[in-house]
Amino acid sequence: MPAKTPKARRILARTAPEMFVGRGDALRELTALASPKAGHQSLVLLSAPQAGVSELLRQTFDELFRQRGGASPIYFAFARTDHVATAAARRFLHTFLTQLVAHRRDDPALVPASPTLRALLDLVAPSDYEWVESLVQKFERAVGDADERALVRVCLSAPQAAASRGVRTVVMLDDVHLSERLRGEIELGPEVAHAAVQAGVPFVLAGLRRRMLDILNGTASLVGLDGLRKLHLDRLNERDARTLVENLAQRHGVALGDETRDLAVEQLESSPYLMSALVEAARDGEVQLTSFREFQSLYVDELLGGRIHRRYTGVLEEIAPSIANRRNLLRVLHESASNVGGKSPVEVWMKRLGVDAIEFERVMRLLHMHELASFHATFVETTPGVVWRDFLQAGYRLQVAAEPRALVVADTLVETLKRAPRQMARHYRRESALKLGDLMRRFDFERVPASLLHYDRYARLYRGVARDEVESGLEAETELVRLPQIVHAASCASFHPPMLQFCDEERCSVAHGFDTTSYAEADEVVWIAAEVESKLEAGRALAELWLDRLEGVAHACGFERVRFWLISREGFSADAAELLNEREAFGSCREQLELLSARLGQASEEGAGEKAADEFAMELPMGEDTELIAAHTVEQIARRMEFQPEAINQIKTALVEACINASEHSLSTERKIYNRFRVEDDKLVITVSSRGVAVPAILSENGAHADRNGLGTNEATKGRRGWGLKLIRTLMDDVEFERVDDGTRLRMTKYLRK
Amino acid sequence: MSEPFNGFAPAVAADIAVVHAGDYVNKLSGQRIERECISRIESGCRALVIDFKGTELVNSIGVSILLGVIDIAEAAGARIVFSNVSRHTVKLFELLGLTRLVALADSEEAALATLKEFVATPQGH
Repeated sequence: MPAKTPKARRILARTAPEMFVGRGDALRELTALASPKAGHQSLVLLSAPQAGVSELLRQTFDELFRQRGGASPIYFAFARTDHVATAAARRFLHTFLTQLVAHRRDDPALVPASPTLRALLDLVAPSDYEWVESLVQKFERAVGDADERALVRVCLSAPQAAASRGVRTVVMLDDVHLSERLRGEIELGPEVAHAAVQAGVPFVLAGLRRRMLDILNGTASLVGLDGLRKLHLDRLNERDARTLVENLAQRHGVALGDETRDLAVEQLESSPYLMSALVEAARDGEVQLTSFREFQSLYVDELLGGRIHRRYTGVLEEIAPSIANRRNLLRVLHESASNVGGKSPVEVWMKRLGVDAIEFERVMRLLHMHELASFHATFVETTPGVVWRDFLQAGYRLQVAAEPRALVVADTLVETLKRAPRQMARHYRRESALKLGDLMRRFDFERVPASLLHYDRYARLYRGVARDEVESGLEAETELVRLPQIVHAASCASFHPPMLQFCDEERCSVAHGFDTTSYAEADEVVWIAAEVESKLEAGRALAELWLDRLEGVAHACGFERVRFWLISREGFSADAAELLNEREAFGSCREQLELLSARLGQASEEGAGEKAADEFAMELPMGEDTELIAAHTVEQIARRMEFQPEAINQIKTALVEACINASEHSLSTERKIYNRFRVEDDKLVITVSSRGVAVPAILSENGAHADRNGLGTNEATKGRRGWGLKLIRTLMDDVEFERVDDGTRLRMTKYLRK
Repeated sequence: MSEPFNGFAPAVAADIAVVHAGDYVNKLSGQRIERECISRIESGCRALVIDFKGTELVNSIGVSILLGVIDIAEAAGARIVFSNVSRHTVKLFELLGLTRLVALADSEEAALATLKEFVATPQGH
């Protein structure tokens, strides 16, 4: 029996350490500050909103607290309820001494307690008594003198006072951006920064990334502040976000399906705060999250009256305290969000808000800080987050347009449900894109075989050749192309937004670079690469259309030396390749891209999956002929059922086609096919499903035409693919397509005829 | 898994070659067949046998590539015969219209015999 590891005790953390995911590196970096080797190094933790920075600091506190004998952790969060700077400073001193005493006595129960300063003197270790008493006396004098500056400085000097007596602390100050809101004679931000720089102990200054540095600098730049290390905390990556949702659901006893888990991550933008809010709401309402409908119902409840609602409402109340101003703000935010690109001119904003320039600047500063809108000289852009936009839409309809609540709830629910499959499809398309920008960013003057950028050469030399032989062939090639060094790459739409009409943002990229190391103007080059959607080799007309589009981008953006590169998964037809050569453009298929990527040193990664089965079920990775494994399995099952050999062959062929269909159409990011084989008395029922884009059955039925005489070349070629469903329908007795929350399921039945 | 091709059967006569399909005709093996057929035609073969002995499964992508091979052969004035096609695969080919475009032979020998007559016929007649 494996030994049980004792659970680490939680003090300030809200999540068990083993359930805290995705922040391992940041946690290690923060806890390392306690080591004497870290010296006096402080850091500024710049966080995106709702990225879970507070929990990271609380986890750090607990971790350090558990390390007896080391530096004492101090966690303090600024709060609006302090109202004035001196109240915050007093609370800091109190927190500092309480947590220090708690750690040195190894008494976590003391952390949440609120003993008076005099009471703390009774609890303090004899070795600390003298300096603590001196600090308390200085504090009492400053209070008596009614000297705000002296009071704040005495309070903030506590870590320095401790350090001077050999007591090392790690001081973590959270929500530092809120210090800006505190009234008083002095700016607290620069005082805090000053303490962090001068104290001689490590400080962590954490807060919203868009305001932190301005607040800490105050009106004058502080010497030493620029030297502090900056740590950026964004939302979780997708994999960690999925783990977090699973952990939360498990901890709160909420049933969660894989599909809803992924929708939660996508829709809630991997925000630990929002995901926790949703799962906790599910626990409170005893709601399961096993379908999109359950998830969206709960989401709409939360959006209109739960924690998500309260969070955004609280921020808007902070920005616009009066109801009338808040209504105006909601209106202009909503109007702006409804415009193309979410933008409105500054004049419209000022007119709608009806405020003077100073108040306008304050509103903009807060919207910017909370990342709800961005101010760009002549226009204001509302942030495009899904949840924020949903909140705005519902808030506008309820509070400005005064629509009936039931109607708003119903509409929001219906819209979010309609949107969910589209949202996931968009996610899958994004994930399945070839990530051309990432690839080009790695170009660094390498010389690569020319056949990797010329499809016609590649097809002539390597089509149908085993991968290892292709690699040997490439090694032996003498004609090479020198890649540029790319210094910047971004989506084409970010240079030329109209491109979004033609393709997803990540499928077309623009990369700026140089052809030689001299970095001379004459060597500047811009590569524009686009992923052309074509199930077969792309034809001349399609290649021409794309080259024209890319030329249009180059012209509109004023790019002078340009190299166009088209990528089509299956390559290009001979006449399309000829056109590419005529126009001096590159063309590659997916395999060429993979080979190029491998030459640039990228390792591929493939996630491992889980397995669960209580009947004949199997989970296949897509590709590598794995459909044959499924075919051999079903053959064994069908033999046991005593199907005739002919029927067995039909079942195998149908299953192979169904697996190919799932691989080709779903754009699945997990790259798995789920097969289930249900044996009944008189029939075998096979279900093949994959998670990804739901493929309408009609799409697969199109083009199931083998008569080449009646079709033009292109149409005949198209007709030669898309036979899968026709074959399946012919070979099996019943075939049924079922669209599920997140993908497509094909159920096919073969009856036993003995 | 589809059997790797370690080499194709040498041309049995100057004008005729035999290409083995392998155990699973899918995209990759279909492309190999296509490549070999094109290579043979380019080197002067006027007749090709694609032998399906041991072919367990053919999928629709494989069929689409075979159709392309038939097109290429036709355009080059070459003839193709499929041999040793299993009963199930014949049905599949019938369903997808291949049997209207290509002759089938029970064995490689029978296919070669058919094609020898074809290549003996002078071109242009």
